[in-house]
Amino acid sequence: MIGGYLGAGKTTLLNRLLAEPHGMKLAVLVNDFGSVNVDAALIANRNGETISLTNGCVCCTIGDNLGLALHDLAERPDGPEHIIIEASGVADPGKIAHYAASHPRLVLDSIVVVADAETVRVRAADKYVGDLVRLQLATADVIVLSKTDLVGADACRPVQCWIESEVPDARLLATPGANLFAELLLGQRTALARRMGAGGDDHRQTFAAWTFSRERPLDGAALRATIASLPPAVLRAKGIVRLAEEPGRRFVLQLVGRRWSLERMDIDDSYDGLPSARSTIVCIGPAAQLDPARLEALFARVAPAIVPAAIAALLQREDRP
Amino acid sequence: MPGPVTVFSAKKIITMDASVGEATHVAVRDGIILEVGDVDDCAAWGPYILDDRFSDCVLIPGLIESHAHLLDGMLWAKSEYVGPVDRHDPSGKLREGLNNVPALIGRMKEIEARMADPTKPLIAWGVDPSLNDPITPITRHDLDQVSKTRPIFVLHTSCHIAYVNTATLALANYAAIKAPGVLRDASGTPTGELQEMASMMAAIRAVASDLIGGSTDAEQFYNFAKVAQARGATTIVDGGGSTYFEPAFLAAALAVTSVPDFPARIVAHHNGITVPSAQDMIKFAAMLKGEGNDKLVFQGVKILLDGSNQGFTGRLRPPGYLGTGVNGLWNRAPDELRQLVPALHDAGLQIVAHCNADQAAEMFIEAVTLAQARKPRFDHRHFIVHGQLLDESLLRRMVSLGIHATLFSNHLYYWGEFHRAHTFGAFRAAAMNPAATALRLGVVVAAHSDAPVSPVDPLLTLWCAANRVTSAGRVLGPGERVSAYDALKMMTFNAAYLLHRDHEIGSIRVGKRADFAVLAHDPLAVDPMTIKDIPVQATILGGRVFPIVG
Ligand SMILES: [Zn+2]
Repeated sequence: MIGGYLGAGKTTLLNRLLAEPHGMKLAVLVNDFGSVNVDAALIANRNGETISLTNGCVCCTIGDNLGLALHDLAERPDGPEHIIIEASGVADPGKIAHYAASHPRLVLDSIVVVADAETVRVRAADKYVGDLVRLQLATADVIVLSKTDLVGADACRPVQCWIESEVPDARLLATPGANLFAELLLGQRTALARRMGAGGDDHRQTFAAWTFSRERPLDGAALRATIASLPPAVLRAKGIVRLAEEPGRRFVLQLVGRRWSLERMDIDDSYDGLPSARSTIVCIGPAAQLDPARLEALFARVAPAIVPAAIAALLQREDRP
Repeated sequence: MPGPVTVFSAKKIITMDASVGEATHVAVRDGIILEVGDVDDCAAWGPYILDDRFSDCVLIPGLIESHAHLLDGMLWAKSEYVGPVDRHDPSGKLREGLNNVPALIGRMKEIEARMADPTKPLIAWGVDPSLNDPITPITRHDLDQVSKTRPIFVLHTSCHIAYVNTATLALANYAAIKAPGVLRDASGTPTGELQEMASMMAAIRAVASDLIGGSTDAEQFYNFAKVAQARGATTIVDGGGSTYFEPAFLAAALAVTSVPDFPARIVAHHNGITVPSAQDMIKFAAMLKGEGNDKLVFQGVKILLDGSNQGFTGRLRPPGYLGTGVNGLWNRAPDELRQLVPALHDAGLQIVAHCNADQAAEMFIEAVTLAQARKPRFDHRHFIVHGQLLDESLLRRMVSLGIHATLFSNHLYYWGEFHRAHTFGAFRAAAMNPAATALRLGVVVAAHSDAPVSPVDPLLTLWCAANRVTSAGRVLGPGERVSAYDALKMMTFNAAYLLHRDHEIGSIRVGKRADFAVLAHDPLAVDPMTIKDIPVQATILGGRVFPIVG
């Protein structure tokens, strides 16, 4: 779900995303084609409310019935892997996301809200739309600050500080390039991102990954507490883990910004995808902000202690390692 | 060659004309009024046929429903009404409200027993458990009592919730569907309640596909007009969501309305609701220019600014909704409206603006101020639809800009208590839909039902404006009550004025169309509290009598 007030830069990002060779089948639902600006060479065909691209993606208009548009996409035999819904500039993205997630074949991945670094503070004080702009920011799992390049770093910092004070625990990403945006939205390293490698043209524009891996089942309560307190720099996390509370099952961790879930996998344990006992979690965030030492410290507590907890506490009190 | 002259006699003819108020006879030829006066005045036009079947009745100008939606006709055509609110059906028969689950199930069993084909789904609409006594949810167990084998689909009056039985759940395979909108009981089985369109789509596709999108079915137009006619309306507005710009839809609409026995005139707004851009709205309006016939015309482009007050989505000025202080949602961004409204205004179009709460109205007024500054226009007759919280300062600005309004007076009756307790509080509930102030300041005001949101019943709407009584019997804002005469004018001449049709309809005057409502009693003489109960005997449309069967 992509939200943000009119003119915040949602379509610019979507246009870049559509044209991107990310190697995934995406469907982008927009309010109207008027603002969609895809290179004509990329258009395979256009059929009424649907534009099909040569890279396997489609772009559709929502029309007057989002439910119907979603249903038809979800039921397509060649259905997309991801659906990206562009909320109208005045929508409550949370409400629409909830609505979309009520479709049986869809799961909500994330709500990304785009804010224009140049105008967001003025909008947030406007008598007609101030409450709406603040609501949109508060609903976001991740806030993408657009046009930071136009505003310049000096003017940008107070805007970031303002958003952080306005939205406690905000996950903020300043003007991502197309590849980074794709990565943020799609939750995986895209072909382009891989090709560009970690040392792309613009160092600030790259994501870094930090991996946590253990052979023994993890402490579920500690893991949930750790995830809830991850630093804002972690924009995405994914993992498949074993928990001490139910070691016979795998659990899936999904995190996008402030939204996360840890759920038992439905599939049978004999399914062979991973080494059976191992737990692995990958955290992704902007390279400049992701601090491996801090993550290391945070995750240290989720691995169950080898000594019983009472003794460990005693040892700690005596200030011994 | 001119046709024959017919003279209708009545106990009293209320003309609503500014110069000549009353008469006993009206002469009609070729659908047009020739004379209004006594029988001798009418005889001046030569030989005539006297139609005196209404000589014990009161003739008024045909009533005008100034804001409703064709969806109402679609629902009557494709489904059975089973809601808690009394509604007249297209035959004029009163369908009494069913305000508890046993009554609902009883009625549905009767309907089911009449259905010949055992596989045909039973589609019903209009339920709203929040208006039931006691308030209890509707479940598949209830609907299974109606039938375990026939698929059943019941739509909530808001269209946001549906209730289905086990047969429908099985047919659409809801057991496999995990979604928050599919409510489940403790055992994990769906209860039959489906919340929001996305979760009900599988059921709609499986059993009720008639209800969605682009139907060109003639019946929807016919029922839309028939429901209104049965309550005395000769003109009804299709308020903006329909797709007349699609050739197949337009052809269907033109075909059905050109049949001589089509029972009412439809004034359709251009679609600025599902058509996103000003450019397309202007293009479609140009395309439809010159289209239409005697009973279908296009006028005004309808845009939406906010949501609904009972849904807590109207845009309010501070302090917002009662208690929480939260505000509703814009339908279009104010920044977009500052472009859109001037663009439509410049193109010479009349703008019909859905503004439910006061901040939306303020925004529209601001946008029209911009438009008027850029390109002053006279007699554009832009008007606000709903305008439930207009106050004196907004109304005065409207007067200076030439903006008028059709108010949602039915809200006073159906949701008045709800607004007082949950949305606006005491003061704003008493100030809702301020018809008296608007008239005093010179705003041309009408009132409407917004059917299917509330039932099309112009006499009831008139009664609401005149009495301002809630369903619990409380008078909200007695100072905003209007006289029966003013209320009747709102539902006739004023509505015609808003639709740019006051030269043709809205009063009984020589040269205008012979559109009348025939009432059993004089609405200006009875106790205003009984106006809504006056039987409608017939309507006369272009001189042709349409009896009321129900
Ligand atoms: Zn409406």
